[in-house]
Amino acid sequence: MIAAAWIALFAPAAAVVAIALAGTSITRSVVGFLAAGSALVSFVCSVVVFVVLLGENPEERTHSSTLWTWLSAGDLKIGAEIQIDPLSVFMMLIVSGVGFLILAYAVGYMNGDVEERRYHAYKALFVFSMLLLVEAGNLVLLLAGWGMVGLSSYLLINFWHQRATAVAAGKKAFIMNAFGDATFVLAIFLLIQRTGSVEFDAVFSSGVVEHGSTAAVLIALGLLGGAVAKSAQVPLHTWLPDAMEGPTPVSALIHAATMVTAGVYLIARTNVLFELAPAIQDLAGILGGVTILLAGLIALVQTDIKRVIAYSTMSQIGYMFVAVGLGAYGSGLFHLMTHAFFKALLFMAAGIVIHALSDEQDIRRMGGLGRAMPFTHRVFVVGALSLAAIPPFSGFFSKDSILGAAANAGTLGWILWTAGAIGAFLTALYTFRLLFIVFWGEMTPFAREHLHLKRFEGGLAMAWPVAILAVLSFFGGWLQVPWGWDLVNEWIDPVAESAAEATGTTLVVSVVASLALAVAGILLAWRWYGRISDVPERARKRVPWAARTLEHKFYFDEAYDLAFYEPASRNAVFLTQYIEQPLFLAPLGELGSSVRAASRRLSSLQTGYVREYALALAAGLAVLAIVFILVT
Amino acid sequence: MPGPGVAAYLILSVILFATGAFGVLIRRSPLIVLLALEIMLNAGNLALIAFARQTGTGSGQIFALTVMVVAAAEAVVGLGLIVAVSRRHVALDVDKLTTLRG
Amino acid sequence: MTNFIVWVVWVLAALSLLGSGIAVVLFQNPFYSALALIGNLASLAVLYLLLAAEFVAAAQVLVYAGAVVVMFLFVIAYLGGRADAPWAGGPSPQSLAAIVAAAAIAVEIVVVIAMKAGDQLSTPAKVDDNFGSPAEIGRLFLGDHLLAFEVTSIVLLVAAVGGVILGSAVPRERRS
Repeated sequence: MIAAAWIALFAPAAAVVAIALAGTSITRSVVGFLAAGSALVSFVCSVVVFVVLLGENPEERTHSSTLWTWLSAGDLKIGAEIQIDPLSVFMMLIVSGVGFLILAYAVGYMNGDVEERRYHAYKALFVFSMLLLVEAGNLVLLLAGWGMVGLSSYLLINFWHQRATAVAAGKKAFIMNAFGDATFVLAIFLLIQRTGSVEFDAVFSSGVVEHGSTAAVLIALGLLGGAVAKSAQVPLHTWLPDAMEGPTPVSALIHAATMVTAGVYLIARTNVLFELAPAIQDLAGILGGVTILLAGLIALVQTDIKRVIAYSTMSQIGYMFVAVGLGAYGSGLFHLMTHAFFKALLFMAAGIVIHALSDEQDIRRMGGLGRAMPFTHRVFVVGALSLAAIPPFSGFFSKDSILGAAANAGTLGWILWTAGAIGAFLTALYTFRLLFIVFWGEMTPFAREHLHLKRFEGGLAMAWPVAILAVLSFFGGWLQVPWGWDLVNEWIDPVAESAAEATGTTLVVSVVASLALAVAGILLAWRWYGRISDVPERARKRVPWAARTLEHKFYFDEAYDLAFYEPASRNAVFLTQYIEQPLFLAPLGELGSSVRAASRRLSSLQTGYVREYALALAAGLAVLAIVFILVT
Repeated sequence: MPGPGVAAYLILSVILFATGAFGVLIRRSPLIVLLALEIMLNAGNLALIAFARQTGTGSGQIFALTVMVVAAAEAVVGLGLIVAVSRRHVALDVDKLTTLRG
Repeated sequence: MTNFIVWVVWVLAALSLLGSGIAVVLFQNPFYSALALIGNLASLAVLYLLLAAEFVAAAQVLVYAGAVVVMFLFVIAYLGGRADAPWAGGPSPQSLAAIVAAAAIAVEIVVVIAMKAGDQLSTPAKVDDNFGSPAEIGRLFLGDHLLAFEVTSIVLLVAAVGGVILGSAVPRERRS
């Protein structure tokens, strides 16, 4: 079992090395199969580990294995260590399973691209990094995986590096993530100071820090900073929409299903430390709630198909943050799983549409594609219903698990419940707005001209992973049913004890209310976008300031620009002009020119006249004779 | 030893050396410069022989003979240079041969 | 009596030595300078004889006056009119400095020798008849100074080769 876990970790890494070394001596499709195949190997190994763990008693389900001591400094020893317990296996299955499906889809999507090999290598690198992150047995190795997923994200966002917007987006993502990494590292330093170790058992043992002490608050704050940056929550969220510059499978894998959920995983893994600083855990929940609303509102006015889905991702991760913020770790992870299914599905369906319209992403140019692309239309509906949390689709069960936990968590819980309920309304509204605009109504002239379809609209290579994800989006939610069973909570319990969910009347109220709001959202979307209607236009004219704020994404980008970029660039200009130039560059230039002048003067001694040289010799001899007399 | 002492020979050699040096420094024809150079070498030879007589060893004479050989060789090469220069129709004037100017 | 004759010979040889030396340096025509050099070399040979270095005196006349000066005369004859170079034009700083430097060297060396070795120069060593003879020179060359002997032969070879190369290089044709 341990061997299987190590193989699962290193299979994608081996694929990266193989692809890099083989270079152009293997065909492009072989490269794609290598990458996807390695993900499949990881998935199979993860299943093996899962099955073995199932057979054990819940208390004994924690194993760890160290390959070698990676870092040794004084008393601090950090090993290349993996930890196999319910939480890591849960994440491994999601990462490798959904990763395999998306990698297989990408073989079809990126077919024919000029730099296809580099793409598959980076994808495999990402899968390896994410697996490292979830399998790590100590915080430093987790940080290593954390940084590497950031790197893979950067590499894949500006994959089409000839586009200036893509390069800028990659930089933005990396820099914002770096901020989170910095706070994360500071938290690790504090922990090392307190415990002298970074292994999970040592760090999570009781008595490390006192409940509510400053140290606890700082550590939790540092961890939260990292999680917020990685998961694109307010206030470090502005990089995610820009990250849509990368190819669609990248958006599906990294910015929907796996990397952005790493923050949730981190909080679940270090729940002991968060529970020692309840204020910060509440802060996590609040940030999640704010993000749910903010992202939901912005998504209402987006015109790029991928950006709508990106803001939807942001919003759904807000739900997960609400869950872990209130201590309902099982629910948060359950939603992580179902979200991976239906969000990847939505992105991949959007990718089929984009491919069919020759890389057009503006939904104002799309319309009426439902009749022309039936398969895509159907899977998109499955994904949309799941996202909007309509039973019996998976999203319903996971979202209601979270709302049920929120309803049971006191005043803050009810505030966040309200945010979640409004969020459910907004989610349904913008999701079905997207569906109706793209797939219903009349076909736009642009679409008529540019549409080109293959079998299953995108070819078989892209269709079968999408189909599997559609099935999972339908059945995946039945792992945890209210008034029935909660398998996910039970599974995660040994690692992170979940808070109890509401029962009885409260639960009924919560479920019915959120379902009603979701259905209301769908109906409103149908009224405004499903039929020809001018209500959106009239609303925009009535409150133009609201429309403008939403379109400018609540002016976050402008604020950050003013607060960080402007001062930094002014500072740089000032330093160049007043310090670097006069203090360093000018003296160097003067040094050079003065040396040149001196050498010019010296070279004038070489007149070329032999007699003058001879005279110099004779004069020197005369002088030396005098010196000889005087000295001896 | 009959006649003036070794010191007189040495003073003679010094004056001859100075004359040769003066000639090297002041003449513009490379031929004359070479001749003046020969004079300087001979002055050195005279000093060597004088000291050999003073100490009574024969090494000074050996040294003087070697100097003679070297001076002859140098005269050969110098004259060859002068011939080559004149063959290229360049003026035989030391002040005009300035291509080594820095 | 011998002393007196030696003194007279010495004075005559010294005067001709210095005179011919000045003549070499000051004559305009290089041919006359070369002839003055012959006189210089002959005076030197006499002085060597007075210093009991007979073989060196003979070699001086043979090698210098017989070979080197003849070589000079050959070249002067080959160059013909081109050998006449102008005198150093006018008293320039170069000529003044030259006079000063030469005089300074002369004075300083005399002073040095007088200060340092003045006492030791009064009595020369006793030498026997063998002192400057060819036998003695031969013995020294093939005994203590064998290396110098061999090296001089190489020097002569190199000079000969150099002379041939320098003389035989055909100048490039001028474009008219």
